Amino acid sequence: MRKKALYTNDPHIQALAQIVGEEAILYRKEDLIAYDCDGFTVHRHLPKAVVFPKHTAEVAAVVKYCHEHDLPFLARGAGTGLSGGAIPLNGEVVISLVRMKRLISVDLENRRAVVEPGFVNLKLTNSVANRGYYYAPDPSSQYCCTIGGNVAENAGGAHCLKYGVTTNHILGLEVVLPNGEMIEIGENGILDPPGYDLLGLLTGSEGTLGIVTKITVRILKSPEAKQTVLAYFDRVNDASQTVSDIISAGIVPAALEMMDQTAIEAVEAAAFPVGHPNDIEALLLIEVDGISAGIDEQIEEILHICRTRNVREVKVAQDEQERAKWWANRKTGFGAMGAISPDYLVQDGVIPRSKLPEVLQQIQQISEKYGLRIANIFHAGDGNLHPLVLFDSEKPGETEKALAAGSECLQACAAVGGSITGEHGVGIEKKEEMRFIFTDEEITAQTNIRDVFNRKNLLNAGKLFPTPGRCVEVKRA
Amino acid sequence: MHTAQVVEELNALFPHMHKEEQEAHPLGNGGAVALFPQTEDEIRNVVTYAREKKKKLAIIGGGTKRGFGGLVERTDLLLSLANYRGIVEHAVADMVITVKAGTNFQQLQDYLAEYRQKIALDPFLPLSATIGGVIAANDSGPKRLGYGAARDSVIGLRLIYPDGTVIRTGGKVVKNVAGYDMNKLFIGSMGTLGILSEVTVKLRPLPKYESLVLLAFPTGDTDTIRSFAVQFLDSMMEPVCLELLNPSLAEQLTGKRVYTLVIGFEDVKSAVHYQEAFVQRMQPPHTTMTILPPQEAQKFWQTFYEISPNGAMPPTDRAVEAAVKIGVVNLDVISVLRESELLQAFNVDIRAHGGLGHGLCRVYIKGAAESVVSSIEQLQAIAKQRKGYAVVTHLPLSFRQTIDVWGGKPSYFFLLEGIKAKIDPQRMFNDQRFVGGI
Amino acid sequence: MNSTGQNQAKTLGNYRWGDLPDPNKWADCVHCGMCLESCPTYEQTGQEQHSPRGRVHLMKAVAEGKLEITEDFIDPIFACLDCRACTTACPADVDVGGLIEEVRWQIRQAIPLTGTKAFISKLFLQGIFPHPSRLQALGRLLKLYQKSGLQKLVRQTGLLRLFPDHLAEMEAVLPAVGEPVRKKYKHSLVKAKGETKRTVALLTGCVMDVMFSDINEATIRVLTYNGNDVVIPPTQTCCGALHVHAGDKETGKMLAKQNIEAFQDVERVVVNAAGCGCMLKEYPELFRDDPVWHEKATQFSEKVEDISKYLYDTGYERPKAELAMRITYHDACHLAHGQGIRQEPRAILASIPGVELVEMPNADRCCGSAGIYNITHPEMAQAVLQSKMENIPNEVEIISMGNPGCMLQMAIGVLKHGRNEKIVHTVQLLDWAYQKENGKEWRT
Repeated sequence: MRKKALYTNDPHIQALAQIVGEEAILYRKEDLIAYDCDGFTVHRHLPKAVVFPKHTAEVAAVVKYCHEHDLPFLARGAGTGLSGGAIPLNGEVVISLVRMKRLISVDLENRRAVVEPGFVNLKLTNSVANRGYYYAPDPSSQYCCTIGGNVAENAGGAHCLKYGVTTNHILGLEVVLPNGEMIEIGENGILDPPGYDLLGLLTGSEGTLGIVTKITVRILKSPEAKQTVLAYFDRVNDASQTVSDIISAGIVPAALEMMDQTAIEAVEAAAFPVGHPNDIEALLLIEVDGISAGIDEQIEEILHICRTRNVREVKVAQDEQERAKWWANRKTGFGAMGAISPDYLVQDGVIPRSKLPEVLQQIQQISEKYGLRIANIFHAGDGNLHPLVLFDSEKPGETEKALAAGSECLQACAAVGGSITGEHGVGIEKKEEMRFIFTDEEITAQTNIRDVFNRKNLLNAGKLFPTPGRCVEVKRA
Repeated sequence: MHTAQVVEELNALFPHMHKEEQEAHPLGNGGAVALFPQTEDEIRNVVTYAREKKKKLAIIGGGTKRGFGGLVERTDLLLSLANYRGIVEHAVADMVITVKAGTNFQQLQDYLAEYRQKIALDPFLPLSATIGGVIAANDSGPKRLGYGAARDSVIGLRLIYPDGTVIRTGGKVVKNVAGYDMNKLFIGSMGTLGILSEVTVKLRPLPKYESLVLLAFPTGDTDTIRSFAVQFLDSMMEPVCLELLNPSLAEQLTGKRVYTLVIGFEDVKSAVHYQEAFVQRMQPPHTTMTILPPQEAQKFWQTFYEISPNGAMPPTDRAVEAAVKIGVVNLDVISVLRESELLQAFNVDIRAHGGLGHGLCRVYIKGAAESVVSSIEQLQAIAKQRKGYAVVTHLPLSFRQTIDVWGGKPSYFFLLEGIKAKIDPQRMFNDQRFVGGI
Repeated sequence: MNSTGQNQAKTLGNYRWGDLPDPNKWADCVHCGMCLESCPTYEQTGQEQHSPRGRVHLMKAVAEGKLEITEDFIDPIFACLDCRACTTACPADVDVGGLIEEVRWQIRQAIPLTGTKAFISKLFLQGIFPHPSRLQALGRLLKLYQKSGLQKLVRQTGLLRLFPDHLAEMEAVLPAVGEPVRKKYKHSLVKAKGETKRTVALLTGCVMDVMFSDINEATIRVLTYNGNDVVIPPTQTCCGALHVHAGDKETGKMLAKQNIEAFQDVERVVVNAAGCGCMLKEYPELFRDDPVWHEKATQFSEKVEDISKYLYDTGYERPKAELAMRITYHDACHLAHGQGIRQEPRAILASIPGVELVEMPNADRCCGSAGIYNITHPEMAQAVLQSKMENIPNEVEIISMGNPGCMLQMAIGVLKHGRNEKIVHTVQLLDWAYQKENGKEWRT
């Protein structure tokens, strides 16, 4: 790789280079383009610069500099977020935390680990797996997303039905506040530190309250036994009913995932096909784990429920290899859309589980209305839907149509008492849709909290909250 | 303004609302006049009245935590939510329930049991506590290991802000990242930011079977306890609690004055028995093991949850009672319990328990006033030495005014102050009830 | 936009030099980021312009006219190892490697290499690799140099310090050179032992045949042992992979045509160098815009198979002699990511009695060899190699793999890190077992 001498007249770039070193700053257009968006590609903006601090003190110094010079800034991890939380809307200085990727300590006896924010999610599980432990939150991007990013987005995953999302596994945070001051919350990962629950507040704040530089997480003992069931249904309604029945039967599956026909078409056309039939309306991927002695009983009950709901075929994974194959097929589902469509827009609505058939029908109607295919991949057990609106951005007007269709899907979720996002975050993408579920007062209540931390609003501005005084209808016009 | 005048004003404004004039209470946190609204509108109207008249409000549910925090004996008004109760919505298939904050906790669990469901929280004094109080004080018991705390169960709240607006946080769905996770801000905020109106929690199925394994360590050798705990926690067993009782608490609950580990299993029957057998196989020498089947286990818990001093009960004798919650790194619980034994030198009764899987201990102290205060100070020192904290969760007002029951302020106190100032600039709600005098 | 459309357009944004990159290749990229952790250069730098999706993003920006082809654009494109690990990781099968090669061609048209870089690149890519006689001459020189004691002299006198560091390291591990098989078996067919079951042609490779002719010999022995007649078409040449990787598509095409013709009359082409095999299988891509040659290339590519997969699929004789060794296996990028061959070589190794096969963590991570990458980007290659070395399991005697470039690079790593592992081609181990079984001296 070429060594580049710092060649710029911009005093801010020079000052930032002083802090992090010349090899740890990008500021030329060719280098910045790669940072103009994250996993959400509809909006693109070039950052002013990208810096790569190596430790907390450098993060604090960069933040302090930006704060003093009124430069907008934001933090970025692997940039896999799906709502645009890491897009430099205002030409921010991007603080990339990927070089802060150490696993600082592991304490198995007390079931915790301390990591830097750039540490990759799956690597944590890999680091403790030989002793039979794991880190529970498993977003589909866990192969490459960072735990810092997971904290910012309060990332979920397929297994949060039983084990909860990121916030349920965070014990402590070291945070650089937007003025450059460093604080530590939940020192030593001790539960319930006296005071308001800032851990809970910061987790999922989408990088608008502070920059996390060290994270204490809970690690769990791997379950003794694990069984995975794959069930094919001719009718999507039967699959939905099966989900409800399983939950009502008092079973708490570790994961309960659903894919519809279009989604199945995509995963089968992509890199990790399983050989699902192409003429079923839905499949369920159900995983139960726990004490080995009780597992067979639960599996029998699940199989029984599937059969009473007219399942076409249902099978239990015979070995880890088969299980891994099913999961790889499911976990790469979003990316797989590339195989059947040039572009896709993923939505992230949540509904009460019992409303599943009703909402799926509405999504079908939205699809017909806009003449765009919508694939559905979702965490059915949580009621967390991922409608994937398929479109071609090269066709004039289709991007706008896709955005409108996606927004309508969220409206359908909100209308049954649901939420506009279960795990992807609001970011840029859904900030106007916040009005579907919150009143102006409720949004102000939240921005008031932001103002306590982020007084100048230099940190990741323009995300998460709707533009004041602008209503959703205007956006649609 | 005299109390009589206030009552007159209130009668004019809220003719149908129940009101009571209040005497001073040894635990403090009272008000000159207690109000018992029955609807959310009534609560809002009281708040509006208070704001306009620049009056302060103390908020109370079942009153079990009246001795927890607070430096004021009697403020202007005591807003009781005891008559604001009931189920707003129970989506049985979705396993989600929304209830009014004043709903009694045990009654709620009994209702849910008919549906084979439960709230996965095990707070103390469930017979008297309200769901709102449990959440505002972030109370949790030994089963936190298996089920988590309020922050893991609460999915939505409805609150009345000091400016009279109704604010909803979260929602009715089990997974939600829309906006800040504002629920967290109010859980454990001791009513200093808003009045809880409705609480939405996700439910869990009632376990199909349960049992308790009591493992008694007569030698009192804490190293043996530790190595057993380490080995057991490293196994793939899934206990819902792994709570260590100090000898005097064990005597009260099991009749044997020895360190006792309470290991709870809740699962299908075969899995519970399998785990009991597992414990049996790894049982250390010189220990005794007793298995309590479901009914006895439930009876054990009923007694257990009532061991904590109850702020809603009149004091029974002259002895001063205190309760302290200590947070340390999980296995340090053993040391905290061992060291708290030494406090008996102050001639106080010490009962203590702590979870080896979650690091939270509770120490109950009973004795002469001075000795209780010294014991608390000792406990704060013990916690500090282990980089943890000790918060006094029950103590008569007069002593709270001399000891910092919160054990000091965190380094980021300015943020807590900032949040309070944004939401409640007039310090209308539960003034001085929380950390650092918030 | 479809590819016929571009043909007529002749330019695509700021790509202006014919043989345009295929926009369909980046259309599938949804910027999800699943490729990031698979990329050795992203692992080293943490910079997204040095990641697969970042590179795709940049290449697309040029096509959209947002970016010119400048030095700062070239850097990330040429820093790519072309290891194809991202292709494996990609949920949508985006062919990043293919795109990189197409864009490198555009770059080389836009900004021809100058100075020393141009000299080295030209010398190796155009002056030596395509000319078997020159390569063989180089090999002879090398042999002479090794035999005559010159090597000892050069090493002792420190003449090597005059070379760039990395070249000096390579020199230290260059294998002793035997006679190239292409020369040795000229015009002749090597008969199968016993009954002939099949006839195969062997791609001898350029580097392979000069520097690792013993592996070619072993390959021939193993093939004939398993009932294959082996032909070595004399007009075959370098596969062109290095040229195409470097953006020299013209030479690549020329070599491809020569090979397609050289192997016209055979039914099966067996390759023992993963990089070459991968290239041969990708010949059709070179002729995307040339229907006649595209057809020929397609037919040709279907005949090509890697030695390990060929043996595995056609059935090979399980060796009976025991090789009591602890072996680990390194997935050559162009075998695992490029051709999807992972399990077959492992199965072969495991089938040798006495062999204890130990999995290497991140076995399919690039070693940093990547054609002539270790010459053009020595620092990055070193960093990548370092990570590789850290993953070698304890107490293995042999690291086995199926690609000569990797073998050289891994040998450098072992030397540099003061390790003792031997670097052996998969097929050599099978050969050793057969040799031992037949009471011959089996270990070289």
